[in-house]
Amino acid sequence: MDLGELIRYGFMQRALIAGTLIATLCAILGVFLVLRRFSLIGDGLAHVAFGGVAVALLLRVEPAYTAVAAIPVVLLSSLGILKLTEKARIYGDAAIGIVSSFGIACGILLTSVAGGFNVDLFSFLFGNILSISRDELLIAAALFCIVVVTVVFFYNDLFAITFDEELAKSSGIRAGRINGVLVVLTALTVVLAMKLVGIMLISALLIVPAVTALQVARGFRTTILAAAGCAVFSVVAGIFFSFVMNLPAGGAIVMINILLFVVAYAFRKTQMRGRGALP
Amino acid sequence: MVLDTHDSTELAEVFRGYDDFLRNHHIILPKRKLRKAYRDMVRWRSLVLFAALILVWSACQRQEQVPATDKLKVVTTLFPLYDFVRSVGREKVEVSLLLPPGVEPHSFEPKPDDIVRVNKADVFIYTNKFMEPWAADILRGAGRSDLLVVDSSAGATLLPAGEQSGEAGERVDEQKEEHHHPASGMDPHIWLSIPNAQKMVDNIAAGLASRDPGNRDFYHGNAEAYKSELKRLDQKFKEGLSACKTRLFLHGGHYAFGYLADRYGLSYISAYAVSADAEPTPGRLVKLIKQMKSHSLRFVFTEELISSRTAKIIAEETGATILTLHGVHNVSREDMERGATYLTLMGRNLENLRKGLQCR
Amino acid sequence: MPVDVLQVTGVGFRYNAADVLSDISFHVRSGDYLGIVGPNGSGKSTLIKAVLGLVQPMRGSITLFGTPSPQFTSWRKIGYLPQRLKFADPHFPGTVEEIVRLGLLAGKKFPRTRTRRDDEAVEKILLLMGIAPIRKRLIGELSGGQQQRVLLARAVVGGPDLLILDEPTTALDPETRDNFYAFLHELNRTHNTTVILVTHDTWSIGKYATRFLYVDKRVVFDGTFDDFCQSGEMTAFFGLYAQHQICHRHDPERRGSNGPR
Repeated sequence: MDLGELIRYGFMQRALIAGTLIATLCAILGVFLVLRRFSLIGDGLAHVAFGGVAVALLLRVEPAYTAVAAIPVVLLSSLGILKLTEKARIYGDAAIGIVSSFGIACGILLTSVAGGFNVDLFSFLFGNILSISRDELLIAAALFCIVVVTVVFFYNDLFAITFDEELAKSSGIRAGRINGVLVVLTALTVVLAMKLVGIMLISALLIVPAVTALQVARGFRTTILAAAGCAVFSVVAGIFFSFVMNLPAGGAIVMINILLFVVAYAFRKTQMRGRGALP
Repeated sequence: MVLDTHDSTELAEVFRGYDDFLRNHHIILPKRKLRKAYRDMVRWRSLVLFAALILVWSACQRQEQVPATDKLKVVTTLFPLYDFVRSVGREKVEVSLLLPPGVEPHSFEPKPDDIVRVNKADVFIYTNKFMEPWAADILRGAGRSDLLVVDSSAGATLLPAGEQSGEAGERVDEQKEEHHHPASGMDPHIWLSIPNAQKMVDNIAAGLASRDPGNRDFYHGNAEAYKSELKRLDQKFKEGLSACKTRLFLHGGHYAFGYLADRYGLSYISAYAVSADAEPTPGRLVKLIKQMKSHSLRFVFTEELISSRTAKIIAEETGATILTLHGVHNVSREDMERGATYLTLMGRNLENLRKGLQCR
Repeated sequence: MPVDVLQVTGVGFRYNAADVLSDISFHVRSGDYLGIVGPNGSGKSTLIKAVLGLVQPMRGSITLFGTPSPQFTSWRKIGYLPQRLKFADPHFPGTVEEIVRLGLLAGKKFPRTRTRRDDEAVEKILLLMGIAPIRKRLIGELSGGQQQRVLLARAVVGGPDLLILDEPTTALDPETRDNFYAFLHELNRTHNTTVILVTHDTWSIGKYATRFLYVDKRVVFDGTFDDFCQSGEMTAFFGLYAQHQICHRHDPERRGSNGPR
C-alpha cells in the first residue's frame, strides 16, 4: 500500500493533525523549560497525575473522566514545584523530583486504601497517537490555541525571565506570575496531551526539539521556530516511517527526534571547526 | 532536614527551631512581614501534620478481622478459580481472590499483604505457570512447606498462542506474522475452553478433598453438579454458534480467546498478542481494518477493564458496532457486587458472540 | 531645584541572624553621580537590590522618585547593570539585539508589543555603544567586555533617569574601562542622568563622582570625595596609610596623575 492510500484513513489524519499541533506547543514550551532547568517537569507532572487520578477515583469519578479530574491536582503541583525552587533554595530538577515522588506515593497509598482501581488506570491515562478520536482532536486544537496565544502574549516577559530573572524583576516584570503561567501551561499540556499521545512522547517532545534547536540557535525567536519545526518534522516523518517499517509510531517519533539532535550537534561541531571559534 | 514524623520529640524540635528563627528576625518587623512569617510557619506545620496523618492513617488501615474458623482457607489468583472454588467448596471453605476487583492481571504486582494472606492459607490455587509468573514470587515469599499448591491446569489441553490470529481459514505460518510472544508461546487463557474448565474443577475438588478429607464427598458432589452446568453451557454455545453469517470475529484487545475459537470452530483475530502492553503499529491497524472490510464484519469486540482505544478506532473506520467479549480474568467492582459468575459472564459472551457473528 | 531621586532611610537587612546592613540613610538628588565603595561583604550589593525592590529590607524605608518603593511602578526610569547574571547560561540563545531590546520592556504596558520606535531606539544605542557589528551574535559567544557593553546598552536604551551599576568594570581591560567611564560621564553631564556606581575602583570615583558613600554594614562616610580625603575623622577611622591609598589610588596605566581633572 502506498502513502496516499494510508492518508485516507481517519486515524492517520487525526494522528498527523493532532500530532503536529501537540508537537508545536510542546516544542515552544520546551525551549523555556529547558533553559530554566525544568526539563523533566513533563515526566514529574505525569507521575503527579497518577496521584491525582487516585484522588479522583477515591471521589468516585468516572474512569473516562479521571484525566480531566486530575488537572487541578497537577496544576497545583506545578505551582508547588515553583514554590519549592523559590523558598527552599533548591534547583528545578530536585523540586520536580520531590513533588513527583510525593505524587506517586500518594497515588499508591490512596489506591491501596481505596481497594484497588476499578479499571486498568493506565489505559485511561496514557494515550497513543494512533488512537486519537475526533473529540480528542478538538482537545488538541484547543490546547494548541491556549498555549500559543499565551506564549505570544507573554513572549517578551517570558524571554526576559528566561534570560535573567533578577534583571527582569528590576524592569518591573512580575516574575512570580510569569513563572506561574509557564508551569501552569505545562501542567495543562502534560495532562491533556498525555491522554492523547502518551507520556513518553510528551516528555520527549518537551525536551529534545528544544535541545536540538539550541545546538544551532541564532537568536531566541529563531530557536523557538526551529524547535517547533523539528518537532513537527519528527512527528510527520515518524508516523510515516513507523508505517513503512511496521514499528510503533510513538517510538519512531522519539527516535527521529534523537536523530535530529545528533545531526544538529554534528553540524555545530563542523561549523566550529571551520570557524575556529570556541564551543 | 529529614523528618521522622512519627517521633513527636523531633517534631517539637522542628517547631521550636522555627520559633527561634522567627524571634531572631523579630526586631522590628513590619506587620506585613510578621503576618507572612506566621503564615509560612502555619503552612509548614500543616504540611508536616498532613504528611504525618496520611502515613499514620494508612498504616492503621486494618484488614477485616477474620474470625478464626475451621473452614478451609483457600487463596486463588484469578476470578475463574475463585468462582470454581466457591461452587465446589461452598460454605465449607473461605475463599479469597488475590487480584483486587478491576485490576488487570497482566500488570498485577503482589503486595506484602498478599504474601501474608497466602501464608495464612491452607490451599493456594493458580491457573498455570504461564498466566501468573508472579505466583512463584508469592510462594517464595510465603515460605510455608505445608501449603498445598494446586496447579489447576494439570491435565488440561494447552494450545499455542496466536494460532488463530491470521487470515480466516488459514493456518498461520508463525514466521510471517510479527508476534510479541512470551518465550513459551503458549496461550495461558485455558479457562475459556469448557472442557478445560471442567478439568480445572476436578483438580480443585481433588485439592480441597486432599486437604479436608472429611468433606471429600461434599466437594466431589458439588464438582459433579457444577460440571453438568458447564456441560449445559457448552451445549448452548455449540447450538448458539452453529448457524452464523460469519465464523470470524475480530477483537481489539490482547490474544485471549484462542480456546473459545478453537472449541466452536471460529476464526479469531486479535489486535495484540498475549501481552497487553504492545503499542499498535500503523501497519497493524490498517491490516485489521482491511480484514474487517474484506470480510464485511459489522461488529468488533473489545475486552473488559481496559480502555477500548483500538476497538474504537477500528469501529470508526469501518462503521462497526462495538461489543464486549469478557475474558473472565477478573471482574469490575460493580460486577463483583452484582454477583457475576463464570457462568453468567460466559453466558453474556455467548449473547454478544451471537450478535457479533450474526447467528440465527 | 534638584529633586530627590532616591531616599534611603534607616534601612537594615539581616541574613541568617547576622546584620548585613544596619541603619543606612542617604539621599541622592537628580543629576548626582554617586559612588558607593566598601570592602567585600559590606552589603553594597544588598543595598542595591533593596533599592531596586529585589529584596525587601527588614527595617527602614526606600523612596524612589518621591514614591515609596513598594508602590513604585515606573521602572522605566531606572536602568540596572548587575554585577553578574544570575542564571548566566553560557549558551543562552539570545542575540545582542534581542537582549538590548529587553531594556525597553519596563516602559511598556502589558502586552508589551514591539513597535518601530523600539527598533529605532535599539538601533541608535547599538551604534552609540559600538556594538552594531555584533548585533546578530549570541550573548554567550561574546567576551566579557562585549557582554558588559551589551548589558549597559540594555540598561540605557530606555532613556532612564537613574542608572544603577553594580561593579561593572571588574572584568574589563583598562581601555574599555576608560571608555565605559567616559560614557557614563557623558550621560551624567549631558543628559542629567543620575548615576549610582558601586565599585572597588576608587580612582574612578575620585575622578568622576560628585558624591561618595563608604558603606561597611553602615554608612561610614557620606559626602564629596574631596571632603573624604581631607577629613580628620576619616584618617582616624582608616588610618593615614589606608586613607592615602584610597585618595591617591593610581590607575596603573596612568602614572603621576591623580585627583580630579
